Amino acid sequence: MTALSPAPARSRPRTGAPVPAARPPRGHGLRRHVRRYWQLWAMAAPAIAFVALFAYVPMYGLQLAFREFDFAAGLSGGDWVGLTYFRQFFDSPQFWTLIRNTVVISVSTLVAGFLAPIALALVVNQVVGRRRKKFLQTATYLPHFISIVVIVGMLQVFLSPSSGLITRVAEMLGASGGNMLGASGFVPVYVLSEVWQHCGWNSIIYLAALASVDPQLYEAARIDGAGRFTIIRHIDLPALVPTMIVLLILNMGNVLNTGFEKIFLMQNPLNLGVSEVIATYVYKIGILSNQFSYGTAIGLFNTLINFTFLVVTNQIAKRVSSTSLW
Amino acid sequence: MTRAGQHRRRALAALAAVTAGALTLTACGGGGDDGGGGGDGTVRILVLKHALTGPMSDMAWVDQIEEAAGVTIEWEEVSADWDQKKSTMLAAGDIPDLVVGTNAITNGDLATFNGLFEDLSDDLDALPNVTAMFEEVPATEAMATQPDGAIYSLPSYRRFWPETATRQFINQQWLDNLGLEQPTTWDELHDVLLAFKNEDANGNGDPNDEIPIDWSPAGDAGFGYFQPSVLLGSLGLPISDGGGAGYFVEDGVVKNFLVDERYREVVAFLHELYADGLVSQDVMTQDYSAYQSVARGDGDTARVGFTWGWAASDRVGAQLADQYAALPPLRANDSIAESDLTWSYDSYSLNYGVNSITMSAQSRNKEAALAVIDAFYDQDISIQVLWGDLDENITKLDDGSYEVLPPADETSDPSTWKWTTTLADNGPGWIRDDIDVVLPTDLAEAVEQSVPLEPAIANVDPTADIFPGALITMSQEDLSTISLNDTGIFGIAMQRWATWITEGGIENDWDAYVAELEGVGLTQNVEIHQRYYDEFVASQG
Repeated sequence: MTALSPAPARSRPRTGAPVPAARPPRGHGLRRHVRRYWQLWAMAAPAIAFVALFAYVPMYGLQLAFREFDFAAGLSGGDWVGLTYFRQFFDSPQFWTLIRNTVVISVSTLVAGFLAPIALALVVNQVVGRRRKKFLQTATYLPHFISIVVIVGMLQVFLSPSSGLITRVAEMLGASGGNMLGASGFVPVYVLSEVWQHCGWNSIIYLAALASVDPQLYEAARIDGAGRFTIIRHIDLPALVPTMIVLLILNMGNVLNTGFEKIFLMQNPLNLGVSEVIATYVYKIGILSNQFSYGTAIGLFNTLINFTFLVVTNQIAKRVSSTSLW
Repeated sequence: MTRAGQHRRRALAALAAVTAGALTLTACGGGGDDGGGGGDGTVRILVLKHALTGPMSDMAWVDQIEEAAGVTIEWEEVSADWDQKKSTMLAAGDIPDLVVGTNAITNGDLATFNGLFEDLSDDLDALPNVTAMFEEVPATEAMATQPDGAIYSLPSYRRFWPETATRQFINQQWLDNLGLEQPTTWDELHDVLLAFKNEDANGNGDPNDEIPIDWSPAGDAGFGYFQPSVLLGSLGLPISDGGGAGYFVEDGVVKNFLVDERYREVVAFLHELYADGLVSQDVMTQDYSAYQSVARGDGDTARVGFTWGWAASDRVGAQLADQYAALPPLRANDSIAESDLTWSYDSYSLNYGVNSITMSAQSRNKEAALAVIDAFYDQDISIQVLWGDLDENITKLDDGSYEVLPPADETSDPSTWKWTTTLADNGPGWIRDDIDVVLPTDLAEAVEQSVPLEPAIANVDPTADIFPGALITMSQEDLSTISLNDTGIFGIAMQRWATWITEGGIENDWDAYVAELEGVGLTQNVEIHQRYYDEFVASQG
């Protein structure tokens, strides 16, 4: 869900796209280019340095995935073991469970978390009256600022099978279901609470896009006899498409990055079968059990999958709608 | 807040941070590697504290250590998130002269970060107190010694703790209200719990607010104190540390109870209880503090009928403690003789604190650091580290006898007071076997409430019935294999444990489950344990 937060400017350099400095005109020498654009390069320099230092330099640690970690020999001194740790992961009995859990959680969060803000933005846009609109918007984005620990605490209190508010209400309505904190409830509870928390915040960027729609279009549509839904269908939605695609591509880059903290905090013995995902497994293996090499290998695998998704989605978007990151 | 709470927190993980100190050596310290250093010997110590514990500068025994060792101590005090900070700190090789705190540095760390810690086995001449402890309490030497003979970390020994952490309680007042006898078998327990549920046992007019049975939540990495794993003792299966990773020994063969028929019986019994609505519905999802606070209720009306805990006043609060009676172990059925019963043997973790002080190999002030270590094991300092400063928390009656005083702050209880004023169980130290101590009331209560369990605990032979994990140190390779396998094993086992109890199904799933666990490394883990156990037995002669 973090991917839906309005931070494309921040994630952009991280995905490897160059800082938006002006491209040199073809055929000119380096010298001329520097003389001409040095101000732009100077402005971009801090960002380039930042990305290089915090995104590229640490990558040398990736070699740990191919080496046996040996404390005495240092990060790059362990024996080269090639793909041993990757094979260990693929052969691990946990592998398919982890992949399945991760995909189920992240895809359902991605879909719900992608559609809900769009719907909300369209609804808010239809609300008449400045004050009502502002109130609705504020009320929906406030939960975004609640810390994850508090959210999970709230979930545990509200959903407690013996005393939870939501459980009690559900019982009164005749739905005496199972334990919502257990295995069957984990994915819905996780996804719905994510959507509830971040939907309002993520809709801001769509509202901004809607605000930029030329009012003449609405007027023209109304004169032509278009109703509310026709206007949404033919004016609002098309106006949102470029934003949607950019956000979708950025989200795809995080497809296997489930929200570690929240899942970790929500884990209990009852739901472990569906709540153990790659991120929590890496934490348990890599940090808690000191299996640094193995943990790095799993993390690298995860990143490669994400990277592939990002590139593929970008290419598809480029072909289909000519909107893309690069 | 209490000892018991502390234990759990330690098991879960907690505490820390650090920077390494580049230290100058005093010229007179002897063996200095740079003669130019001015200043006194300064020893940097990272100390892992309980969240309650006050600043080190408030503890008078710290001055005594500085005086005895002739050094100045710079403390680095850590009381949160130690496990996470530790990994990165050790991987960076950046540690102060000493790390203090029970199991702050685990055997796994010692093996993984080989070379980071000082081997003390060749420095024992400088550690007379430690050498004496090794002679008097040989188990401490076994705990400290690595397979290759190196000694990287020293344990503490505190002697007065009971041999088990988990005591069994039943609400005697409820029994009396309903005219029932104390249960002695599982069936009788079942009947008693049904009565607790169906009637208004606590007499407040609401027949539905009683929770017949509740226990401490099991984590996702094995069993611990105050959990129903102690019911394995009803079938004569010996466990230690509340169950831990499940290893035990029978006739010289290491086994794991996770795949034992007796474990299956316990789970099936617990499901019967759960299916009848006798177990707290939150038992699988609540955290430790919820488990504690529910039983304390509003302080006047008891909520829980049968439970396990450290001591009654800790488990249900001082106001309700009188309602509860300590209950002897239950027999699973009539075919089990009373003399076969066992109970969780926890003495190695309660009376000893493994790896309580560890020294950096990079320490530039080696003599001073060694002197500090030795001072911790001094008779007077040891007892002060455990219970607090002389005169304020302890009265020294004569050379060999002490009395632990009630808390100076009257609103505090003895356990909280201890953790507030000193390092308590987190500190290194050696409580001599030949001294007399008038124990604080919390410990005296725990010892007293252990009495009904004593015959069952005596049935557990710590070298023949349980896997003496505390006395055995393993190689890095084996530790890595075990911890990797454990992540898989408990990922499956704890989830099944929770599902089987709440939803049932163990009868149908059992065989597949056993095969699955063996497939993810249980067989390999048992083999490794067996190998070390055989070596251990051979070394014992």
